[in-house]
Amino acid sequence: MTEQHTHTLGMHPPAPQVDEVSDYEILEIAVRELAIEHGLFTAEDHRRFTEWAERIGPTGGSRLIAKAWTDPAFKKRVMDNATEACKEIGIDWSEPTGFGTPSDYMNLRVLENTPKLHHVIVCTLCSCYPRPLLGMSPEWYRSTNYRRRLVRWPREVLAELGLIVPPDVEVRVEDSNQKCRFMVMPMRPEGTDNWSEEQLAEIVTRDCMIGVAMPKAGRTEDIRRPVHKARRPPQPATVQ
Amino acid sequence: MNAKSDGDYARVRLLEEIRSQGKEWEVLAPLYGVTNPDPPWKTSLVGICESLSDSGALPSLERRHAEDELKDSVYGEVPSPESDLLALVHILLSRSLVTEDDLANRMRAVRARVEAV
Amino acid sequence: MKDSDSNASETHARFKVGDRVRVKNMPLMFYTRTQNYARDIEGTIVELTYKDLVPEDEAFNFDGVLDQYYIIRFRQKDIWEEYPFENDTLQTESPDRWLEPVSH
Repeated sequence: MTEQHTHTLGMHPPAPQVDEVSDYEILEIAVRELAIEHGLFTAEDHRRFTEWAERIGPTGGSRLIAKAWTDPAFKKRVMDNATEACKEIGIDWSEPTGFGTPSDYMNLRVLENTPKLHHVIVCTLCSCYPRPLLGMSPEWYRSTNYRRRLVRWPREVLAELGLIVPPDVEVRVEDSNQKCRFMVMPMRPEGTDNWSEEQLAEIVTRDCMIGVAMPKAGRTEDIRRPVHKARRPPQPATVQ
Repeated sequence: MNAKSDGDYARVRLLEEIRSQGKEWEVLAPLYGVTNPDPPWKTSLVGICESLSDSGALPSLERRHAEDELKDSVYGEVPSPESDLLALVHILLSRSLVTEDDLANRMRAVRARVEAV
Repeated sequence: MKDSDSNASETHARFKVGDRVRVKNMPLMFYTRTQNYARDIEGTIVELTYKDLVPEDEAFNFDGVLDQYYIIRFRQKDIWEEYPFENDTLQTESPDRWLEPVSH
């Protein structure tokens, strides 16, 4: 999904809603009401998690990286205790329950790229993702195609996504299969000397923090990626 | 212990009827010139999934496994987030946490409510 | 979801950073978070993350024992046959009880 840019607001403010109510919209309401009536969860919990979902987006991650690039002491705090450092940019991983969400927990690790090391994140089991910092995961990240193939063929998958990593650079795949959540700190690109934090944040897009793109001066949007279905349906789990 | 599989997923008539309308957000939004990338109910769907996991009614890992199977088969051609919603409802139906009749009735009642405004 | 506090009488925490470990190949259970591709593979402990219950135990035989969780680094060449890039690695997270020590 392309990111909304502040400079477009005020030119053509997006219409807030379409003029018809789809069956999807009706279905969501219906299943939610029935679930609450059957005691599957409470209306209050639903409201709390929904409001949390409305608050999150990728700008938190962008700001964290931009600040780390410009403030070495902050960067050290990020590398020492990323969950705690997030509070300095207004992101609290304990929301909305006091203990985080049942999917995101409270154990963030930031993976720092170097000229000889490139990180990329995945969750092969179910697509865990650092949502408090990056918002909802993109559909391609959640596809079985990405999750199965990235661990096995990382360079091929990265190349398909538009990123070629030279052979002498180590590609390190981080499979977030437990409670830690990961985000990539890309290297600060050339041509950004003396940039403000705001300018830097603009080029740290979501895909750069997943590890499937690299930030570049002038690159302020991720490519819209089609979702490719895996060619084979899921097989029963077998030992390698 | 062998994995409890939710098994072969037969199509659900109610969900097929919804799907056949073709009213996904990626179709509707351009029709009305709306640039929001997501439909307004998407965050509520996230709320449902997190709530189901938090209460223990449907833990996230189980839901994601079933979702993977459904989205790679029955709902293979449906975009997100509509595929996520259909898959979630399908899973709840397959576990008898809601029934198709109740859903159909409630959908009629909700639509009547919404259109009366 | 709250990480369990450390008042549990017992904790499994055998390894330190730098130790070589092998991922056990225990029978597949529905709730396991230990990937098939990692089974029987040797790697190196690179970080101790937190102590917590193990999901399999949360679902079944609740024994209340906490496990130290670790981030483990594997060489891709050790996981996949004919992986062509020497230096590539893969990291995953694992609880103590899924690991066994390797001597070399």
